[in-house]
Amino acid sequence: MTQLFINDQEVDVTPGTSILEACRQNDVDVPYFCYHPELSVAANCRMCLVEVEGWGKPAASCCTPVSEGMKVKTQSETLAKDREMMMEYLLIHHPLDCPVCDQGGSCKLQDYTVEHGASKGRYSEPKRAVINYELGPFVNTCMTRCIHCTRCVRFADEVAGTGDIGVLNRSDHMTIAGIVEGALSSELSGNLPDICPVGALLDKPSHDVSRPWEMTSHSSTCIQCPNGCDISIESRGDQVMRIVPVDGSPEPWICDRGRYVYDAFRSDNRILSPMVRQDGALQSVDWSDAFDRTIDLLKDKKVGILFSSQWSVEGHVAISLMRDALFPDAKVAFDLHRRDMRPFAFEEGLAMTTSQIEAADQVVILGSDLRQRLPLLMQRLRKRGRAGKPVSRIGAMNYRTNMEIGRDALIRPRDWHGVIARAMEQVSELGKTAAGFDAWLGAVSDRHEAGKILADALISDSCALLVGEEIRSHEDAASLIHGVDLLMRACGHAEAGNDGRNLIPEGVNAQVLSAVFADARVSAGDIFAAASAGELDALILIGSDPVGDGLFPSAAKAALQKVPLVQIGSISGEMADYADVQLPAAAYSEIEGTFVNMEGRVRVATNPIKSLGQERPLWKVMMRLIQVMGAEVPVVSLDELRSAVCQHLSALSDAWCVSNQDSALIAPNRNRDAAALPKARTDSFELDVVSRYSMYREGMWARASALLTEAGELNALDDVLVHPDTLAAKGLSAGELVVKSFLGEQCFNIGVREDVTPGVLFIAKRGVAGDLSDVTAASIDGGAV
Amino acid sequence: MSADTVRFSEERLAEIAELVKRYPGPQSALMPVLYMAQEDFGYISMDAQKMIAEVLGLRLMQVREVVTFYTMFKEQPTGKYLLEVCTNAGCMLNGAYELADHMCGTLGIRMGETTPDGLFTIAEVECAGACGGAPVVQVNNIYHEKATPASMDALITQVRADGGVE
Ligand code: SF4
Ligand code: SF4
Ligand code: FES
Ligand code: FES
Repeated sequence: MTQLFINDQEVDVTPGTSILEACRQNDVDVPYFCYHPELSVAANCRMCLVEVEGWGKPAASCCTPVSEGMKVKTQSETLAKDREMMMEYLLIHHPLDCPVCDQGGSCKLQDYTVEHGASKGRYSEPKRAVINYELGPFVNTCMTRCIHCTRCVRFADEVAGTGDIGVLNRSDHMTIAGIVEGALSSELSGNLPDICPVGALLDKPSHDVSRPWEMTSHSSTCIQCPNGCDISIESRGDQVMRIVPVDGSPEPWICDRGRYVYDAFRSDNRILSPMVRQDGALQSVDWSDAFDRTIDLLKDKKVGILFSSQWSVEGHVAISLMRDALFPDAKVAFDLHRRDMRPFAFEEGLAMTTSQIEAADQVVILGSDLRQRLPLLMQRLRKRGRAGKPVSRIGAMNYRTNMEIGRDALIRPRDWHGVIARAMEQVSELGKTAAGFDAWLGAVSDRHEAGKILADALISDSCALLVGEEIRSHEDAASLIHGVDLLMRACGHAEAGNDGRNLIPEGVNAQVLSAVFADARVSAGDIFAAASAGELDALILIGSDPVGDGLFPSAAKAALQKVPLVQIGSISGEMADYADVQLPAAAYSEIEGTFVNMEGRVRVATNPIKSLGQERPLWKVMMRLIQVMGAEVPVVSLDELRSAVCQHLSALSDAWCVSNQDSALIAPNRNRDAAALPKARTDSFELDVVSRYSMYREGMWARASALLTEAGELNALDDVLVHPDTLAAKGLSAGELVVKSFLGEQCFNIGVREDVTPGVLFIAKRGVAGDLSDVTAASIDGGAV
Repeated sequence: MSADTVRFSEERLAEIAELVKRYPGPQSALMPVLYMAQEDFGYISMDAQKMIAEVLGLRLMQVREVVTFYTMFKEQPTGKYLLEVCTNAGCMLNGAYELADHMCGTLGIRMGETTPDGLFTIAEVECAGACGGAPVVQVNNIYHEKATPASMDALITQVRADGGVE
């Protein structure tokens, strides 16, 4: 530790810390603009000047490291004068238009002017004006207000990895500009207005709508991806105005999906009152009429229950209580993305925290479009890349990452067995093996060279495998995961403390769900098949949209046409076409509730915003349903419900004691005996089907958001993509082509892209080609039907 | 011209490959490569910048920042003679603005424009780094220090008389 004195106070900080950081850590106020704890140090605003005893001139504290015994002064007459001059300089060209600027009220320039500036400027010559530029649908620019701190430039370089903002010209002509008109190709672009210390970059969707001091902030958790970021939902009255990241949480950023999904809260797609289908259309009714109809449809019937992982833990346990009370034999499904329901050797959830992943010796991404799925983990990997640490990847598409991937292999999903087998052989040669290698290897005849990348990474001391959707949704997922598990055991990456087996889940609460529903869980596909086969009388759907999302859209459609649907949720999705009854449940912005993210971090939301309509927290809807159906209500308060939760997961009880928010991480399930062996393929379709996850399109909330939909259109690809060689091999060219699969023959607009593995049919635009998501293999044939 | 048509010749590319070896990284070779581009193409169009970014493995923005920072790099075609008048503090105090106005008058064009015969372009630049000789006018790569309306008129007349031949 280095000891120094700040304003005569003795403080200790880690050697190498900057004076500014030392001050921040010790709650000493030093003004600054260009410094940002998450970005590199540019030291160009000169606002952070301090005095160091014995130095002839003031020092820029952000770029001056502390030294032993240093005596720092942050307040003096000279400094006051210096700061006043800096402010005068920064304001020379500023339009001084605070009354019409959205930043007003939360602007550093404004605050520091009041604190450090002179009350009157001396500059009376003409001011310059700067042309604004286009930064996409989320960021508004007013560049005359820019003070050239370059935070945005460093953000684009270092965090977003796009490097498309820069400093053009110099001196009096200097401007900050984007590279291409109309495009900011980052999934993190919404953070730019947050880091701009002035009103140059502003949030476009909420532009000119409200002022910072009118907002009430509600802390909550984003459920739009398994990262489950801390968010602050800012509302004016009952209206959500924006969503922003929370200071002091593990990530200082949030992604555009989580941020701009908020306009879905007030979209027409919300279910805000009980609805019942009458004369072919859904009509708003009161709760008792809706329950009457529900009783007709469900009482003494055989039902299938399908729900979304996006509810709070309390909601999930309430669903399980409802099932136990009313339909004890009913099968439940909550994952629309899993085909293989055999237990996985390591279940969904991360064994490591994202910061541990960032620090690991090796990181290998196995079949995942991380930038779209987990933009914040991707951002961590970029940080890791900047520090010179390798990231390798194996997968079906050269997904864009905005970083340099060290070793990269394109494979088809059917090659995974060969990849794992190749890796097993290589590590065995080095004497690393595990009981089970022989049986596994014996069942696979292929070997794929990409296995070398995996094996090479496994040799390191710490290796984080990020096992993604291409494996998780594989038909033979259990055996692949068993194979990976064996590899990790053989190489010593399966022990507590060095466990690198991370299976990226589809949504939040994965660890809780596999614990609570372990036995009752089936594949969503099975439930639809049972319904279509006439084995079920009705479906209960609690907050998911199996037609718009997931791997079973065709099966879901067939089932929904056959049996009545009771939908309980906050938002309709495409289910309004099928539902006979809709019961409104509160959105995640409107509840007190607990969420567990992919790392096992527990987050409790405590100050919800008011419900927009008649929706109630899901657990209350479940209890009320139990009551009207004539069974005994198991819990009557949130506290009772939480004690019920603790029977499943004692780890959660800590999280609810107010004093102890930092409870232990909830570990993902491990099934030591899950020893599934590889299965041989049975179909003869030559292409493997992989569907794209688009952060702007996936999930009912995103589709109901006009803002995300607009961004999604900017990022749209052709409906279906293949590698040019795939078509060339058949003498075909891009355009309308027939695709054959188990679903029969369908015609699609097929485009080509070098990024796709030859032999893979990549469904780029779900919805148009969504039905193909049901299949894992297909073939392309001739011209249009 | 598109990024496909603005191309360095094979010899140039070989020269660049050699050059890059002398530096710790390709980014350091950007300045000399920009000079080459300007020499080969006359000016550095956006397409040329894209091509250079590709050749050196840089981001387009990294190239753009350098091109726009230095007034020596031209993004637009210029006349055969580029008259760059420094109007920064030192030169301004020594009459640069009056000089620039006078030159515009002689040439019959406005600041930043090119004469219809394609001979002259006049531009304003920030400190040319020769303040001791203020006011400074840079004509292509030659500095004219302590320039006066008369000396500049003479230069322009001379060039016109020669018909642009050097
Ligand atoms: S736009 Fe904002 S963040 Fe970017 S340089 Fe200007 S003031 Fe800084
Ligand atoms: S990264 Fe995931 S959890 Fe975080 S804001 Fe984005 S969608 Fe929400
Ligand atoms: S914060 Fe130190 S110079 Fe800007
Ligand atoms: S001010 Fe003109 S050369 Fe420096």
